[in-house]
Amino acid sequence: MNLRIHAARVIARRKTLETVLNPGFYIAQTAGLLLGYILITGFTGAIDSSGFSFELNPVYDFVGRAMVGAFGRTFVDKLFSEGPFLLALYISFLPSFFYLSINSVFRFSFEKKVGAIELISYGPADGTSCFLASYVKDILLTLLTIAILFIYFAVAAFNNNIVLGSRFLYSVPLILFTSSALYAYGILAAVATDNAVSAISLYMGIVIFFLIILMGTFSIVSGYVSTLSGVFTRIAGWLSPLFYWNLSLTGVESGKAGFFITGIVILSVLTGIVLFASHLIVGVKGVRK
Amino acid sequence: MKGKAAGFILAFCVTLFAFADVPVRKEEFIYSILAFNGRDYSGTFAREEADTIYLIAGVDNFLTAKKTFVYFWPITGEWRTDTQGLDQEMSGTLEVYSDKEQPVKLTPEKYTYYNVRGVYELNWNVAKGKEADKVRSHYEDLVDEYWKAISEYYNKRAEYESRLDKITGEITERRKRGEDVTSLLEELKTMKPPARPQPPEEYTVPPVPVKSGFIINLPVGEYRIRFLTPDGFIMQGSEKKIVVFEKRREGGIGYEIIPGDKWTRPSESKTPHSVLYVDGTTDLYLRPFYQDEFNDLYYEKMRRNDSRGNPNLMKWVRMQQVPEARIEMSPMDGNITTVTEEPFYVEQVQGASLGYRIVPFDAEGKHEGREPSIRAFHIPIERERGVLKISLFDREGKQILSGKRQIRVIPGAGFKTGLFLLAFVPLLVMGVVLFFRRKRYSD
Amino acid sequence: MIKTRGLVKKYGSFTAVDGVDLNIPTGEIYGLLGPNGAGKTSTIMMLLGIVKPTRGDIFLFGEPYNPKRLDLRKRIGVVPENHPHGMWSWMTAYEYLEMFAELFEVKDKERRIEKLLSQVRLSEVINKKIGEFSRGMLQKLSFVRALLHDPDILFLDEPISGLDPLGIKQIRDLILEENREGRTIFISSHLLSEMEKICHRVAIISRGRLMAEDRMESLLNNLSRERKILIDLESIPSELPDEVKRLSYVLDCRGDGNTLVITVPREGDYRKGLSEFLIKKNLIPLSIKEQMVSLEEAFVTITKENVEMLAAMGESR
Repeated sequence: MNLRIHAARVIARRKTLETVLNPGFYIAQTAGLLLGYILITGFTGAIDSSGFSFELNPVYDFVGRAMVGAFGRTFVDKLFSEGPFLLALYISFLPSFFYLSINSVFRFSFEKKVGAIELISYGPADGTSCFLASYVKDILLTLLTIAILFIYFAVAAFNNNIVLGSRFLYSVPLILFTSSALYAYGILAAVATDNAVSAISLYMGIVIFFLIILMGTFSIVSGYVSTLSGVFTRIAGWLSPLFYWNLSLTGVESGKAGFFITGIVILSVLTGIVLFASHLIVGVKGVRK
Repeated sequence: MKGKAAGFILAFCVTLFAFADVPVRKEEFIYSILAFNGRDYSGTFAREEADTIYLIAGVDNFLTAKKTFVYFWPITGEWRTDTQGLDQEMSGTLEVYSDKEQPVKLTPEKYTYYNVRGVYELNWNVAKGKEADKVRSHYEDLVDEYWKAISEYYNKRAEYESRLDKITGEITERRKRGEDVTSLLEELKTMKPPARPQPPEEYTVPPVPVKSGFIINLPVGEYRIRFLTPDGFIMQGSEKKIVVFEKRREGGIGYEIIPGDKWTRPSESKTPHSVLYVDGTTDLYLRPFYQDEFNDLYYEKMRRNDSRGNPNLMKWVRMQQVPEARIEMSPMDGNITTVTEEPFYVEQVQGASLGYRIVPFDAEGKHEGREPSIRAFHIPIERERGVLKISLFDREGKQILSGKRQIRVIPGAGFKTGLFLLAFVPLLVMGVVLFFRRKRYSD
Repeated sequence: MIKTRGLVKKYGSFTAVDGVDLNIPTGEIYGLLGPNGAGKTSTIMMLLGIVKPTRGDIFLFGEPYNPKRLDLRKRIGVVPENHPHGMWSWMTAYEYLEMFAELFEVKDKERRIEKLLSQVRLSEVINKKIGEFSRGMLQKLSFVRALLHDPDILFLDEPISGLDPLGIKQIRDLILEENREGRTIFISSHLLSEMEKICHRVAIISRGRLMAEDRMESLLNNLSRERKILIDLESIPSELPDEVKRLSYVLDCRGDGNTLVITVPREGDYRKGLSEFLIKKNLIPLSIKEQMVSLEEAFVTITKENVEMLAAMGESR
């Protein structure tokens, strides 16, 4: 086996174990499930004889009004057309996603600073092995998180007689590929900067930038904000994993499987490109503390 | 002293009112737009500051160049026109051009539009030029004939009632006198009131009065327009972009959902294959309709030029009822039943509750002489947790796939506490993992 | 085993390593000495492939060294000066070593770990979290980690700094034992006295340049210009050191208890002359010994231009 891959596998196993032994991981999972609980019970509480109406539940009323104001009624109707699980999946995933990605960005910078990566690189490994390990750890724990959320939502769905929904099911692999690309950006931020604070700031900046582009895409706000978002989207939209996430979901909605698969393929390619860029940066910058 | 203070407060209040937001009317050049929205024609206008007009491709839309007063109405957050103050149609020509093609000059043309009766609701026609006058004139003739028939009807009705009064009076007199009334009773039996004439049934929407405007019917694309005055000048504020769009998908099925206890508050299920969740407290009455899918922003702005929409979302738009359809219901027990559209009547519930109920329309019984309140498919709903799948078949008996829906009755209380506790399982796992890890060190 | 030719490393306009040529045969313990900033670390980092040389060639195991060839790194063991602070502190010593054993694909890792831990007397703490280890324990653990995969070359960067005397002895014994097994050992250190006890050959580096390189004895003989003669007396009169200093061949003299420490040039035998001089003064030498100049003193001589720097280093120690 390629030594770099072997090293990544060995280190990833330890990083995974380290995360699993950290209370933060469990707290993030619990926070995600609690958010899911609030959204599911809120949804069931907003159902009457004529169907779902978010005005009937205080939480949904607040969230729903804000979303209608920002993205329009069509967006909100589609979001809940199959039940609460599509929104619940994404919202519940956020705590774990941010925990894993920020933790990885921080740890990589920290390990570089204290010389741990250098120490590992004395052996049959290099900086790329280390960040690949971090990436593999994130993917493994994301799979675990998705599995936990899936089981929880499946129980909630069965219990409340709600369907998970086709868009939910399509979102399960999609969320993995999208977060995978975002993790790659986290690695890029960590290798491109010289300390943890800069790395986290850069990473959060990238994520927020992508979110602004995405929200601008869906926003019904017209005028300057919309124009600015449009400009950003044209310039940098293709760099954003969320752009391809949207492409895939649009494919699901319009019944075009090709769009969905294309989105996933592009997300994988984007992940590869960003990881390769990180590899080049590590090659140039080295792993010296 | 008190009087002075009161006077001061009054003056202050008056000043406040004087400076309060009052819509400012501004004379502007506008395009008055009568756009076909896929279902019918809706009117909007593009003021000078609007840079784009949105129209559906391949259909006739009508633009009129006008000078009028424009103002913003903050209560509804929309721009309005004050045509009572000023409504001056501009004479001139409209230039339509794109990057690829040479400008086309349009002159105002007479037009009318109407919808004729048929199996389907959308039978729109546009008549232009002399044909418009002819169509309108035909309609007016029908209306005249109708009113003539009505007039005759009232005369015959008066004659009928007069004869009726006369016969009944004579019967009374003869009976008093002890004479035979058989012949009069026979006449009374054979007497029939005159039939009331029906209004022209040819149209569901009769031809509108003939108007004059620029008729725009363009293929999908982006164009530019400008209005030229008779002396060849470009009217200020008349240069605009036209976005001509089309539906992404058509023939989707949506349902209007009327709950038995809230017939005034129907909801709609437009997303194909979506799930309808209900609490199971009442039956449902469904009305299936065809729907087409459009870009949310384009469609909204086509209907009202200053409205907002989402450029990256598609929305389903209700078009027309599905005629002569049937619905197949598959409950969990697998016994498929078929329902057809039936008339129903909404009855006020007697007593203090002031509610109402939807009952089958009894044309020959207690609802004789009345019209049904609704025509819909009655879907009985179980009062307990369950799943009901519905499929729609058209008048030819073919299943319309986008008409599939699930109706799920969800239990009120659910397993909330259990679900809440389940959310803490990761913390429990953490405790176990850390306990065993620590135990391993101590060993 | 290790060879460099014209090795240069520049950081901008600063030259950290300036044309270093090394040639270390298999089985040698080689010490690289130099003050802070002399270019020791840069040299090691280039040898390890962590830092790219600006110029020059490196040959390891008889072939040009390509840092991208990760398989070659499996033949190298490294003990850095410090264990990365705060890293892997959640792991037990066994888990830590197991990770590196897997990284290096060590066969029979369990037995190897246990054997090495017992050699450095850390068997007792095999299941203890390394976050609870002292600096000395961590250093020994690092040593074990570096030896796990039975490397051909061992690079040790200040391997005994911060260790207690017992720890130093254990590590010293380990180094010598590993060397006896034929391992080539490259040590960079500033603890000259220890280098003296371990190294077969040393090189002295200053301002990026290799100032001297030789076997230990030759280096001391060739590079030190003086030596010491130690004469034990019953007592030392107070004026005696000054009188001895007046002798033409005496460079320096001082009393140390009842021992007269006299510095004389490296060439010539002055013992007889000194003995006669003392007898004339009615002082009877109880014993006369010659002492070679220490490595530390030789180092000072060689890197005279760095005397102040060394003094500062001495103070800081």
